[in-house]
Amino acid sequence: MNPRTRHALEFVLDNLVWFMLVFVLVVFSISIPNYFQLGIFANIIEASSVLGVMSIGLALVIITGHMDLSVESVAALSAMAVGILFCSAGIGLGVQLHPEWLMVPVSLLIGLVVGGIIGAINGYLVVKVKMSAFIITLASYIWVRGLVLVISGGRSAQDLAPAIRWFGIQRLLGLPLTAWIAIACFVVFSLIMAKTPFGRHLVMIGGNETATFRAGIRVNRNLVIAFVLAGAIAGLAGWLLAIRTSGATANLGVGLLFNAFAAVVIGGVSLKGGVGTLPGVYAGVLLLSAINTAINLMGLPANFTQVIHGLLVLAAVLLDAFKQTIRQRLA
Amino acid sequence: MSEPLLVLDNVAKNYGAIKALKGISFSIGKGEVVALLGDNGAGKSTLVKIIAGGLEPTSGRMLFEGKEFLAKSPAEAKAAGIETVYQDLSLCTNVDVVANFFMGREITRKFLGVPVLDEPAMEQVVEKALASAGTRIPSLRTNVEHLSGGQRQAIELNRFVHFGGKLVLLDEPFAALGVEQTRRGLDMIRQVASQGIGVVIITHIMPQAFQVADRIVVIRQGVVAGDVARNKTSPDAVINMITGETLAGAGPAG
Repeated sequence: MNPRTRHALEFVLDNLVWFMLVFVLVVFSISIPNYFQLGIFANIIEASSVLGVMSIGLALVIITGHMDLSVESVAALSAMAVGILFCSAGIGLGVQLHPEWLMVPVSLLIGLVVGGIIGAINGYLVVKVKMSAFIITLASYIWVRGLVLVISGGRSAQDLAPAIRWFGIQRLLGLPLTAWIAIACFVVFSLIMAKTPFGRHLVMIGGNETATFRAGIRVNRNLVIAFVLAGAIAGLAGWLLAIRTSGATANLGVGLLFNAFAAVVIGGVSLKGGVGTLPGVYAGVLLLSAINTAINLMGLPANFTQVIHGLLVLAAVLLDAFKQTIRQRLA
Repeated sequence: MSEPLLVLDNVAKNYGAIKALKGISFSIGKGEVVALLGDNGAGKSTLVKIIAGGLEPTSGRMLFEGKEFLAKSPAEAKAAGIETVYQDLSLCTNVDVVANFFMGREITRKFLGVPVLDEPAMEQVVEKALASAGTRIPSLRTNVEHLSGGQRQAIELNRFVHFGGKLVLLDEPFAALGVEQTRRGLDMIRQVASQGIGVVIITHIMPQAFQVADRIVVIRQGVVAGDVARNKTSPDAVINMITGETLAGAGPAG
């Protein structure tokens, strides 16, 4: 095989999920009436912002060779914290700040800090107590959701302060600001992973933790930072969720974890760690969102989505194995 | 002997009731190559890990350049100038050759105050280092998982030659290398030593030890069983030290 076809083939393999996304969009545009509209595409991006942000944190931790099952509950807790403080109805306390715009950074900070704290607890337990991240974050998934129920008493907060809501309403180039936040997160974290020593170290830790430790990389420190980031990013997802629903309910975001997982796996991140890129994850998120939109437009019962997502994850894993065999032949 | 670089004074390591090292004392001079020999389970690798910061000794002390020294992590040992090549390869197969070469000490430049990987600069250095060592790797941007065992080991060896430091520890570095590459590896060791760097090499292969080492230290059952200059001993004498004189002749050794 000449180097040119080889490079082309490697490029396709590296970006397979993007090709899949384009393929799916083309097929849907041709076969489903009314699918091919800018508004629909904008809607796909908009609908994927919360899931997208959450997937970034999950992907970071999985790329380092660990696991964070708590992101969904952490997002719910952050949303509830923001909801209780800044909502004016239900269990909301209706805290007012002057000037009003001050509520935006303050609520965002609260969301990030709440998430970061849970992430720090996860990271500390994984690194210091040397327990499996799967078990620790499974526990967090349960107790953090429990905490949401406890502080809300099972009730909800409604009517988020308009100054914060503004982010969900205000549009720029056809997309709401919340979607731009998700896109900005993807850009920033993709650059961090690909271009900085920190990102490079995370990938290498996921590949061979012993080797990185021997090479003098501070593995534990990096791992804790990854968990704190995953928590804080989940907190940001929760903040976006609160804006989107203009409040918070006790069961907010239930099921998001599995969609995030699907997106991460479809996006080409290996659950074994060390493999995967964030742009791929974003394509995975968009792919899920594109399919959801198609199901809605076709008027299928929404219950079908879950079946299709499950099959898609299965397909992604099979595809990953297939890619491995091709790569081995290339080498 | 030249000025001592590292002095080990009664270094011991217990795993519970098991005494892996009972008390090791010897020293390594600047620019000296010491071959560390011993049977399987004699404690050679344990000793290397203690010097390299991967393990903490139970007792004993070390002097590095005349100062009390104890590395609590590989990062500390590295900062002090101790490079290690381990028996089981320490490469991340999921990233490319350049990333592995610079693992943990990437060249960066600041972009808006944020350290950013300087890939072209790193690639240039690796290309030069590998070329001068005569190692051929098709593309420096291939992931290491696609490379052969020999190519992988070459990356590790070139890494220590390039970064040097003050003391290099090699734990059976030639296990996966061919004849020609091994010869080149031994040359590399002499070349590194001639720059005043101390080298400790663990090996099972007697001719290699005699070819490269200035001094031969034999460890048997966790203690130093022999510490002799190469030109004052013979392979047979060393084998006797390794197996223990009472056992000499009990079976084919070496």
